[in-house]
Amino acid sequence: MDDLSLLSDLSLFLKEKKANGVKIVAYLAHDNIPEELLDAAGFFPLRMMFGGNDDLMDASHNFLPPSTCAFAQSCIGLYSTKPNIFSFLDLVDFFIVSNHCVSDICVSEIISKHFNIPRLDFYVPYTKNNSSLKYFKLELLELKKRLEAITGTEITNEKLFESINKYNEFKRVLLKVNELEILGSEKLKVLQRAMLYGPEFQPDLEKFIQYVRENPSSLLETSKDILFTGCSIFVNDNLVDLIEEGGGNIIFFDTWIGSHYSSQIINDSSIQTEKDPLDLLVLKFKDNIYGDHTVPNFLEQKVALIENYYQKYTKTKGRKLGVINHIIKFCDHISLLSSFLKERLQEKGISVLNLERDYSRANSGQLLTRIEAYLEMME
Amino acid sequence: MKLKAFIGIDIGSLATKIVLISEGRLIDHRTERSTYDFKRIGHNLFDDLLKKNDLNREEVFLMSTGYGRNTIDIADDRVTEITAHAKGTQFFFPDVHSVIDIGGQDSKAIVISKKTGNVVDFQMNDKCAAGTGRFLEVMAHALEVPIDQFGDLALKSNKSASISSTCTVFAESEVISLFARGASKEEIASGIHRSIARRVAGMAKRIGVGPKLVFCGGVAKNPAVKKYLEEELGYEIETPEFPQLTGAIGAALIAQENNTN
Repeated sequence: MDDLSLLSDLSLFLKEKKANGVKIVAYLAHDNIPEELLDAAGFFPLRMMFGGNDDLMDASHNFLPPSTCAFAQSCIGLYSTKPNIFSFLDLVDFFIVSNHCVSDICVSEIISKHFNIPRLDFYVPYTKNNSSLKYFKLELLELKKRLEAITGTEITNEKLFESINKYNEFKRVLLKVNELEILGSEKLKVLQRAMLYGPEFQPDLEKFIQYVRENPSSLLETSKDILFTGCSIFVNDNLVDLIEEGGGNIIFFDTWIGSHYSSQIINDSSIQTEKDPLDLLVLKFKDNIYGDHTVPNFLEQKVALIENYYQKYTKTKGRKLGVINHIIKFCDHISLLSSFLKERLQEKGISVLNLERDYSRANSGQLLTRIEAYLEMME
Repeated sequence: MKLKAFIGIDIGSLATKIVLISEGRLIDHRTERSTYDFKRIGHNLFDDLLKKNDLNREEVFLMSTGYGRNTIDIADDRVTEITAHAKGTQFFFPDVHSVIDIGGQDSKAIVISKKTGNVVDFQMNDKCAAGTGRFLEVMAHALEVPIDQFGDLALKSNKSASISSTCTVFAESEVISLFARGASKEEIASGIHRSIARRVAGMAKRIGVGPKLVFCGGVAKNPAVKKYLEEELGYEIETPEFPQLTGAIGAALIAQENNTN
């Protein structure tokens, strides 16, 4: 299952959705967009998780300077060049954006203005005190009203509860994928596909998990185990292949495409007792410890989570574990935190490779040197 | 057949270096421009080294390193230049703590464990040429100064022109405007060398380099970069006898270690 077949399948899937009258809402801000609400309103939420290449980044420079987040450049490049494999982006009816990431705001503005896709705003607080949570609920209510105005149909509590349960179940299954002992590239492709298709992929996901359990793969003992953190690896990006070429294998994706998204599960007891489903979405927002734009304590929590996983893994498996912190160029908040994260983990005896890059394929040689040197360091 | 010697070949973007080591001693070495044909240059140097030292292919182990380490198909094994430089500098300075290597295409800082001699952290420059030998080459060309005299020219000035651009292309335009404003060639040369030293020292400080610090790579032969690096870091740094060879020596030593234990 390569990136091309994934994108081609996705294109057919979205065309079918459109043919059935379903509106497609694309979104960039990864951590707090309420997919459940979009789903309950009858929309299909499409996560923009497509990495770029040199051509796409170059194509964005009519709109953005080259010193902008590489992901932002790629998104604009996708729209301004419309490569055939991404032609499904023409099917997008709305863009929804939150304010957490400044680059995401700029991208959505450019796409709305120059490519005529209406934008829905969803503003999210940066902290989680009581006032912020009240504000978050007001934003949810606003978004709900806008979605209802577009469709002309009320989003009933029943529908929203149903969507919440659906996404909850889906994420429970998805969580199991990260624990499978398979090649990192294979795991990533499954995670990406699942997060693009959403709960409709759940039956395939369950079959895949069952297949892997019945047919355990013989992992190369010589490959070095890697916990991957920082920016996610998006579809069409070859980083995971470079890591494997260098002799590493990602065994855990501590990224939004990975454990962060699949951990956003609302506990069953709250679902049973809560009368207003919007309050459940507020609870999910409050409990999201992976929101890397949220203050305070984000860094502390991240260090603790990685350390916990590291200790558990090295103890139970008896193998060394490396940490690669992926920093997409000009992604300021990840980049600024990277040296603190590395320092804090090194203090705990955990070595870290801060891998800063854009989507250019031209510097693959240099990237491979950094990866291989880090893996040699682990010997 | 018992191995008689260990050969390390460091295929850099500008120069290919090859060394022959036997019983822990440096026996022979060669350096040649890499050109566009890494593979041919590597093969020629290897064949020449074997011939001059009266050795057969089966009697040596060839370890490749450097930017072109994967292109030379006759190598028995390969290792990154980070690990190779760390090992190679210990050949000259067993008590080395940190390494700064400035080559033709990249620069790197390495911290070595005093306890194990292994790399504990490293940092490489980004894909741009600023902070590399290429930056110096472009600037020397802009000033019409032979590259091997560029460092000496810089040291003739007790004033450094300010070069603020971190991009090679912009820095070249900045040099032209400095000329237009009447700055001397020496002042500009000094400013260029300071800018590379500042950039590399900044990168090195971020991973906690410290004395004893060994400066290697082709640029280590430039006295101005060394002097300004010492000023930026605040302590004296060492340069090995053959600063360009540390990667190749390290590769040969690793080959020796892997095949004798």
